[in-house]
Amino acid sequence: MSEYLLDVRNLKKRFPINGGLLGREVGAVSAVNNVSFKIKRGETLGLVGESGCGKTTLGRSILRLIEPTGGEIIFDGEDIRTFDAQRMRALRRRMQIIFQDPYASLNPRMTVGAILSEPMEIHGLNKGKDARKKRLYELLDQVQMPRDTLNKYPHEFSGGQRQRICIARALAVEPEFIVCDEPVSALDVSVQAQVVNLMMDLQKDLNLTYLFIAHDLKVVEYISSRVAVMYLGNMVEVAESHELYGGSRHPYTKALFSAIPKPDPSLKQDRIILTGDIPSPMKPPNGCHFHPRCWQATDECKNKYPDLTKQSETHEYKCFNPIT
Amino acid sequence: MSQKILEVKDLVVEFNTDRGKITAVNGVTFDVHKGRSIGIVGESGSGKSVSALAIMRLIPNPPGRIAGGTIKFNGENLPDIQMDEMRRVRGNKIAMIFQEPMTSLNPVFTVGNQIEEVLELHQTELSPKERKEKTIDMLRLVGIPSPEQRVKEYPHQLSGGMRQRVMIAIALSCEPDILIADEPTTALDVTIQAQILELMNKLQRELGMGIIMITHDLGVVAETCDEVAVMYCGQIVERADVDTLFKYPKHPYTKGLMESIPAFDSTSGKKKEKLTTIEGMVPSLFDLPAGCNFYNRCVSASDRCRESEPKLSPVEGSHEVSCFNPLSL
Repeated sequence: MSEYLLDVRNLKKRFPINGGLLGREVGAVSAVNNVSFKIKRGETLGLVGESGCGKTTLGRSILRLIEPTGGEIIFDGEDIRTFDAQRMRALRRRMQIIFQDPYASLNPRMTVGAILSEPMEIHGLNKGKDARKKRLYELLDQVQMPRDTLNKYPHEFSGGQRQRICIARALAVEPEFIVCDEPVSALDVSVQAQVVNLMMDLQKDLNLTYLFIAHDLKVVEYISSRVAVMYLGNMVEVAESHELYGGSRHPYTKALFSAIPKPDPSLKQDRIILTGDIPSPMKPPNGCHFHPRCWQATDECKNKYPDLTKQSETHEYKCFNPIT
Repeated sequence: MSQKILEVKDLVVEFNTDRGKITAVNGVTFDVHKGRSIGIVGESGSGKSVSALAIMRLIPNPPGRIAGGTIKFNGENLPDIQMDEMRRVRGNKIAMIFQEPMTSLNPVFTVGNQIEEVLELHQTELSPKERKEKTIDMLRLVGIPSPEQRVKEYPHQLSGGMRQRVMIAIALSCEPDILIADEPTTALDVTIQAQILELMNKLQRELGMGIIMITHDLGVVAETCDEVAVMYCGQIVERADVDTLFKYPKHPYTKGLMESIPAFDSTSGKKKEKLTTIEGMVPSLFDLPAGCNFYNRCVSASDRCRESEPKLSPVEGSHEVSCFNPLSL
């Protein structure tokens, strides 16, 4: 058994843009562009970036909820891109997803009991009334919800409680790997902390592996052992989370971290304010995609895309003029 | 202390619902000073946006109404004045920016039209040509590149950050005395948020307006405000200048909020084993506890808190807290 549960190699996702009278392809968006990374068993890899950088597309491509255009996704030693529908369905038991908006991702017409039972029915788990009930109670205990939750409907719960139900639904099939797509972004801070703590406890108890996608760098840094930074479909830097804050080499990472407002008025630090917006992914700039916003850019950056530099076993980045 | 331009006193806002009456804002008092920013922080449902809408007289009536208190602006009590007079204040003297720049701009008008509309209503002395020029100047002021081109574009042609700049341009076009910013950067990415906050700080220095910054993000407050009011269940539970509040929070709720934020610990490189949380959740406004609203979630609650309600009272200088057992230093 390999140390790595997931090994993604050169993953690509390209969305064609059709236009004109005949609906021909007139362009394309490379939402995910040659992304490679590995996740160890029981580890959390955080994935950050601004909106439109391709982090959600990447998360969904790994589960083949969006069919990737190229690359390999090696899950527990096998390339799941070669799997047919039947094998893929069986595999989905082992990989689950939690979505951002707990208001939109629970069916309002189903009771919580039905919502939590559905994945078990699909995968034929915990058959029989007693076994099912026992498992449902166990799930509710795991996410710290009372047992009478089962007969209620989603609208009876607050955002934080709904997110707990979403977590319970993902856990229902005893997965090994969970893609968490902005699971706490819609929650208030005090509730957010409760859900983050819960997710970390569950990870420890059930030996789960997370890909944790968020735009809130503070939460990601806290929950993840390693963090990957994406910009316009490319992964520009990966490092251990404590290395990244303070020790980032890519200018974009540095700017991203310095942009976070710190809840401490006595800290007046030097902020790097990036000028301009993220360029359109339909026509990304030549060379390094970040060069029009980068204060370190040289002529080289305008013409060539930088290769991966491995600084250490855990820290790698793509930049010609890294921060020293 | 600089000049006081808005005085909100004991403001009460009620809503009639199918399940009975709720008090969304319950006795809120604060002042806005010229050239200074007050931050109003709180979680969803704490009444921070409703307070702002009440100042603008934008509470939909029915079901809502301002049930008590005064909002003094320029010697007038805003809830008492006639609607046509209110229209001269709203947008002209007191302007507001909303959270979602996509839904608060009209998609079928160019951004130029939307800025000009404000000028046409409030600055009637300007000729059409002068209005056009001022519109372009406003877009330049908020840092939109090539404003002569942008003025002809529609909101969908702009990015989120650019749209929020247009919102700010609309709000500032009449040089208001007070700017109310309701979660102005919540929908934006951090790098764009930093740009917008920087812009607001700069414009405040240049134009000297008072800002009411409504947000749930303590980081935004720490960086942009001079004074902070923390709201919980329709009441202000603590108020102080920004340095004092962050250094010596007195209310257990304020402290809990601060500790729920995962912090970078750059010195030791280690992180807290567990995030500190506030137990439970915000009570429903239909079913508030008898005593202190925070009683059932509070770590320092005593019997007294269950029975009677604390009042906002000064502890030290201008630092006020509504708690029977305020935290000591």
